[in-house]
Amino acid sequence: MATTVLSMSGTSIKMLNYCLKNDVCVHGMKTGFTGASLRRLSMYLKHSCHKTKKESLCTAKVRSHGLPYLGQRFKGRQAEKDLNSPSTHPYTLVENHLNGITCRIKQDLKAIDHELLHVSEYYFDGQGKLFRPMLIMLMAKAANFHETQMDRLLASQEKIAMIAEMIHTASLMHDDVIDAADSRRGKPSINQVWGQRKAIIGGDFVMAMASIELARIRNEDVVSVVAQITEDLVRGEFMQLGSKEREEERFTHYLNKSFKKTASLLANSCKAVAILGQCDEGVEEVAFEYGKNIGISFQLIDDLLDFTSCDHVMGKPTAADLKLGLATAPVLFAAKKYPELNAMIMRRFTEEGDVETARQLVAKSDGVAETRELAQNHSREAVRQIHTLTNSKYTTALERVADMVLSRNK
Amino acid sequence: MQVRKTFIGISRLLSYIRVAHTQNARCFVSWNQPKTSDWKKAVSEAEKIVGYPTSFMSLRCLLSDELANVALQVRKLVGTKHPLLKTARGFLDNGKHSLQTRGLMILLISKAAGAKSENMENVDHSADEMVSGIYPSQRQLAEITEMINTANLVHRGVVNLDTLKDTDGSLKDMEFGNKIAVLSGDFLLTSASTGLAELRNTKVVELVSMAIGDMMSAEFTSLRDRNGQGVLPEGVTFSCWERQTFLQSGSLLSRGCRSAMELAGHNEQVQMAAEEFGKNIAYARQMNEDLLPFANLGVDPNGILSSAPVIRYAEVHGPQSIDTFSGHEKIIATIIRDNETIEWCKEKCRDYGRKAITALDSFEPSEAKSALVNIVQATTAFKPVKS
Repeated sequence: MATTVLSMSGTSIKMLNYCLKNDVCVHGMKTGFTGASLRRLSMYLKHSCHKTKKESLCTAKVRSHGLPYLGQRFKGRQAEKDLNSPSTHPYTLVENHLNGITCRIKQDLKAIDHELLHVSEYYFDGQGKLFRPMLIMLMAKAANFHETQMDRLLASQEKIAMIAEMIHTASLMHDDVIDAADSRRGKPSINQVWGQRKAIIGGDFVMAMASIELARIRNEDVVSVVAQITEDLVRGEFMQLGSKEREEERFTHYLNKSFKKTASLLANSCKAVAILGQCDEGVEEVAFEYGKNIGISFQLIDDLLDFTSCDHVMGKPTAADLKLGLATAPVLFAAKKYPELNAMIMRRFTEEGDVETARQLVAKSDGVAETRELAQNHSREAVRQIHTLTNSKYTTALERVADMVLSRNK
Repeated sequence: MQVRKTFIGISRLLSYIRVAHTQNARCFVSWNQPKTSDWKKAVSEAEKIVGYPTSFMSLRCLLSDELANVALQVRKLVGTKHPLLKTARGFLDNGKHSLQTRGLMILLISKAAGAKSENMENVDHSADEMVSGIYPSQRQLAEITEMINTANLVHRGVVNLDTLKDTDGSLKDMEFGNKIAVLSGDFLLTSASTGLAELRNTKVVELVSMAIGDMMSAEFTSLRDRNGQGVLPEGVTFSCWERQTFLQSGSLLSRGCRSAMELAGHNEQVQMAAEEFGKNIAYARQMNEDLLPFANLGVDPNGILSSAPVIRYAEVHGPQSIDTFSGHEKIIATIIRDNETIEWCKEKCRDYGRKAITALDSFEPSEAKSALVNIVQATTAFKPVKS
């Protein structure tokens, strides 16, 4: 375990614990350990990191990294110092609301039969990053502050965060069957444990429970906006089934699909909380655009990590996209330099050796770097949108999220 | 209407499938039994009353991009044993009547309940006009309930890959069939969701979502095994059957009827009456279905272990009375010999019918009301079936 010995305050330990428990990258925290806290930490790690995957991840986290100096990227921002301070750390700001969100979701899954309870709760085990609820709640607070100068989070907005997480999880349950996944988040996938049938029907159940909660907010506009998410999710899956013949169309098709599968959830949830905050249409638009850009950036980095990271960090096997026949951004970029990739893309990497060749060609090309640059553009756009709202610690935190998305390694 | 278009698109998609070889496809418990001529007559008459035939299959419509894609993929399913083909066959064969009666009953009860009540504050129907005595929102709801039912059938047809036998065909085929089944079902469910959102009534969204939750829960009860086959658990009681039936079909129909009332702004009393009707007709229909294999030995006895007569027999005669491994014919013979069980079930069915008709008492006499009564009577009349 890397041990840089500096001094560490009580709150830093709490934060570190929180981050470790919730698998959050602690880049940007200049923390350190006294002898005592080091012992405490190693005891905690011994008890909680029983899987090798977590061990290596913890090692990576404990090393202290400085946040890349943002001043160069976002010129003119006066609150640069805030960007590094713990008081605008995205997860900490909504810590109170995030704690126990999983429990509250489980309460909404009103399953009576024993088995259904287990199936529907399987992926609500606290192992998820809770990235989406965190972002949605931050947006809600930022929008509320912009509108009313008050620091608050409405119960209905918190519900939206829960609903978004439920929808996301339900789609994971279906994805695992469609992709014939073996494992997720370090444990057997739901279809491995209960079979394909119950995984699918369980996913439908979770979705139905989310809809019930959505209806109980009693806002027809919000219902429409969130219904749009579910439609986009399915359309995204369909888009993945088909592929475009012409190369020029492929990238647009890919971005469109990325929006539907990943960004739509964030974009529309952010819009929903803006609506509930009684904000005007301009703010709704900002929230939507922020969510959209963060979502696309998130997906691009996800696709990039599929090529650069290794099995035990991600919790799911990598080069997964290629093996599923999917041509993501790095491949599409690489195909410009190595046209032989086009034929492989058309046949969805089904021939012997396709996956390995593709991987090598992507490594040789600038595919990964170009993907990262595109992701950075989207993050920048997201930050630009946020700047139009009244400045607060929440808007600062949302800026940090844009950066967190870029620097994640899992 | 968007909802209608997508539904028609899906049905067109399914009609691409040649349905010749579906006899050996894996089965699961569903509502696909043949109907008596009384029933068919009652339904035909009813369809005239609501203004258009409720079989959506006959209409042609443009396919959306996604469905065209899937249609190409689904052709590969032909010749496999995936249950999706059997579901599709059900659409085409019995297409006209068996699958659309849910929607039909919602349309009928909407018409029977009449125009919106005078003292409505929240509902804005200024733009709506009744067509054949039914509001457009109620028609949309009827379509949505059918969509949800179809989606449920399609998802229940997903196959557990670890239980495949040699006779089932290749793993790849089944995996592929699963994928298509999941996506089609998801597509139908989300179309239903957006359709519900368009109704601009959160109470209806809540009710219908509860119904969807119930339908999904039905697969996890003690009366179903992992593959959707009926099982007979120890210590089963008749109330288990009622609960199962409610979850499987009663919930959607009763909440659908209630939602139709809500959309027209009818008061709580009318809503409850509609709900009672929906629930009891669903019980009656299921009882009728369950009794068929015992009256007509040519009927497919799949799912017999969780049928009402078997459960009733086991409840009365104790848990060891039914040998679940002895094969369907033996079980049927055992129960037929004990005439009491069959008679009890028939009487129960008539009882549900009476409750359904009573629930309609508060409705003004009308063509639509009579049509509903006719359907109830056709469901609960037990005449000897021609073999």
